[in-house]
Amino acid sequence: MALTGRAALLAALGSLPVGILEPSWTGMLAVNGALALACAADYALAAPVRRLTLTRSGDTSVRLGEPAEVHLTVGNPGTRPLRARVRDAWPPSSWLPGTETGASRHTLVVPAGERRRVTTRLLPTRRGDRKADRVTIRSYGPLGLLARQGTHTVPWTVRVLPPFTSRKHLPSRLARLREMDGRTSVLTRGEGTEFDSLRDYVPGDDTRSIDWRATARGHSVAVRTWRPERDRHILICLDTGRTSAGRVGDAPRLDAAMDAALLLAALASRAGDRVDLLAHDRRTRAQVQGRSAGDILPAFVSAMATLEPELVETDARTLVSTILRNAPRRSLVVLLTSLDAAPIEEGLLPLLPRLTQRHTVLLASVADPRVKEMTRSRGTIDAVYEAAAGTQSQTTRRRTAEQLSRHGVHVVDATPDTLAPSLADAYLSLKAAGRL
Amino acid sequence: MTPPDPATPAHGAREAAPRAAAPRTAPGAPAAGADTGEATGPGATGPKARTAAPAPTPRTVWRRSRGLLICLGILIVAAVALAALTTGSRHGRLDPRSADPDGSRAVAELLRARGVTTRVVTTAREAAAAAGPTTTLLVTDPDRLGESELRAIRSAIDLSGGRTVLLSPGSPSLPDLAPAARTKGTAFDRNLDPGCTLPAALSAGRAATGGDHRYTTDGATGTACYPSGGHPTLLVLPSGTTGGDTVLLGSETILLNKKLASEGNASLALQLLGTRPDLVWYLPSPAEAQDEDPAREQSFLDLLPRGWSWALLQLLTAAVLAALWRARRLGPLVTEKLPVAIRASETTEGRARLYRKAGARDRAATVLRAATRERLAALLGVPPTQAHDPAALLPAVSARLTERQPDLPGLLFGTTPTTDAALVALADHLDALEREVRTS
Repeated sequence: MALTGRAALLAALGSLPVGILEPSWTGMLAVNGALALACAADYALAAPVRRLTLTRSGDTSVRLGEPAEVHLTVGNPGTRPLRARVRDAWPPSSWLPGTETGASRHTLVVPAGERRRVTTRLLPTRRGDRKADRVTIRSYGPLGLLARQGTHTVPWTVRVLPPFTSRKHLPSRLARLREMDGRTSVLTRGEGTEFDSLRDYVPGDDTRSIDWRATARGHSVAVRTWRPERDRHILICLDTGRTSAGRVGDAPRLDAAMDAALLLAALASRAGDRVDLLAHDRRTRAQVQGRSAGDILPAFVSAMATLEPELVETDARTLVSTILRNAPRRSLVVLLTSLDAAPIEEGLLPLLPRLTQRHTVLLASVADPRVKEMTRSRGTIDAVYEAAAGTQSQTTRRRTAEQLSRHGVHVVDATPDTLAPSLADAYLSLKAAGRL
Repeated sequence: MTPPDPATPAHGAREAAPRAAAPRTAPGAPAAGADTGEATGPGATGPKARTAAPAPTPRTVWRRSRGLLICLGILIVAAVALAALTTGSRHGRLDPRSADPDGSRAVAELLRARGVTTRVVTTAREAAAAAGPTTTLLVTDPDRLGESELRAIRSAIDLSGGRTVLLSPGSPSLPDLAPAARTKGTAFDRNLDPGCTLPAALSAGRAATGGDHRYTTDGATGTACYPSGGHPTLLVLPSGTTGGDTVLLGSETILLNKKLASEGNASLALQLLGTRPDLVWYLPSPAEAQDEDPAREQSFLDLLPRGWSWALLQLLTAAVLAALWRARRLGPLVTEKLPVAIRASETTEGRARLYRKAGARDRAATVLRAATRERLAALLGVPPTQAHDPAALLPAVSARLTERQPDLPGLLFGTTPTTDAALVALADHLDALEREVRTS
């Protein structure tokens, strides 16, 4: 039950007859009794909320930054028309701040025995699952004095996927991949290690690639061609521990790491490699295994959608053992973690030999442009101390990277907007060098 | 209220999910088609999405308050206009000091010229005290007097033995001041003939005593003049004391400045008011009631009509209803887990603050020098392992510089700066050296 402003206004206007005509309890009773009677009649004539049928349809997933539309169909099986104000409640991050009230409320008229559809437009501001909350309906009577109010639960979930902003870098990297593949007009000898086919010798070919045995069998000189390795296994490991929660610019490190992982997955699946995903801190948070090339990206984004940084220290021991379990044969292990000295030196470094003896390890880390900015500050004593602190942390980072390099780990350290292309380039150069 | 059959909507939702999923669950699809050049997506709205609700700008504040200001302006203008219209004509009415058309200074001046002293009083107590056998008490507006004032004037009439002139007394005051007389309708003619034997009336002749009250008396006592339709507009009644009398004048017109010169007004006024050497001119004032009798002080609520308290009670009911209307939410609040917001650069900034707090010039200088040495070594082709060796680095640097730097060892390998200014200067010099090596 809910009163309306109209009832309050009528009660206020009632003070005129009470004050002028009948200033007594009788007058009060007459005015308020009439008002109460009208309210009761209104309540009785309002369509009941409980018997309405509500169904949802619409988008179930949306990329971050894009709008999603969820439809709510309200059926009125009763005999009285429904005049209602509907609030389709969703968590606050489903809308831009300040627009929630306007976006979630609808005014609705459903004649008796009919159905009407309202559309709630969501514009989520964060990744993850948005679950619909209750639907509250306020059904007004014909006089608009009193309304019935009730709540229905109509479950629906919209999964907000990572935006994958780095996909703009994909075409240029695919072009480089095709170049390496020998599919373009540029005739460079593939530096891969896999035998592809034999063809006739043309002047200019490397004489070392002449296949003498085939030449002896045939009438012309034959050369072997090679193609880059295919069907290699790549395991992308996202560290979701405490170091991934730190915000660089306006987004957590984890978001930049996801973006880079998506670009790498898209590129590697096009290059014919198999890509798996593992998100781990103290335990495994998400895992994608053995998907076909066309299925990789949807599987990755929906696995990543619900990942949030956990405020725990990453357990390097279980991380390494999980990687070893998931990568039975020689793989490229891409670790997306941080280059902070303490977690690396105490956690990962002692365990690295177990990884590097079987796999190629590539470690990518999100650098903070703010630290670089700090190293350049000059002029005042505070600024110089900032510069010293920034330089110190950069030096420590570089030392850690050098230590990792000595263990045979390839390190990519880049700011959020350059991390994805840098990681893709590192992958391409490893592939070109036949190191997978 | 919960839906009686929650399975129905839930079922519909699950059924609809796979259908709607098809076009949306594949964000990789555009990426897969990237060969065609489709590269950028609308995903870059992240920072924009986090802007807070807009603060009110001066423009919106103006737009919101404009209606209120206009109402206020109209109210003030109306109040000023109303005040100007109402007070303009009433100011100084029947005041012997006022030269306005509605004032009475002319008659007061004429009386003074004939040796009658005029004294203005504003309270009934003063008037009663001043009244005596040799005074004429003029009450300009008897109907406005309260009970205590009426009593005071009544006792003055009874005891003073002088003349009392009442200007157009009506039914509210007559029972107290002149119980023998009653009002008898309105005299429609303004100018009337004497029609009696009163000497003053006879010598004055036709005068403007009409236009207001007519009177009638119970007994035969008193002199009735200027009748209009058979009932007098001027009544002279003897009072209880010997020699005293009370004059009831049906209209105040003859005393006004603007009417004094016409007909026999001036003559009648002078003869009515000039029979005694002193004239007490009583102008009742609005503040009198409280000055006279504190016991009669009324609160604001007493002054309001009785119905207002009931109307107020009804308004309170309306306020309660309005509160209930505003208090009822359209559904409960929705809660949500918020992500942590820690800046990644926080530890580095904390280190800078620690340096400053500790005044760690030695650490800062060491760090900055070491970083510059490493960069110089990379630029000059000195192996990184020998970057911090003066014997390897210094010759390479000085060989590169065009002009000799006398304090090169001190700059790159020197002691800790002793002051903050020296540290700032050291940072600038290291920058300058590196720039020089880079450009040479």
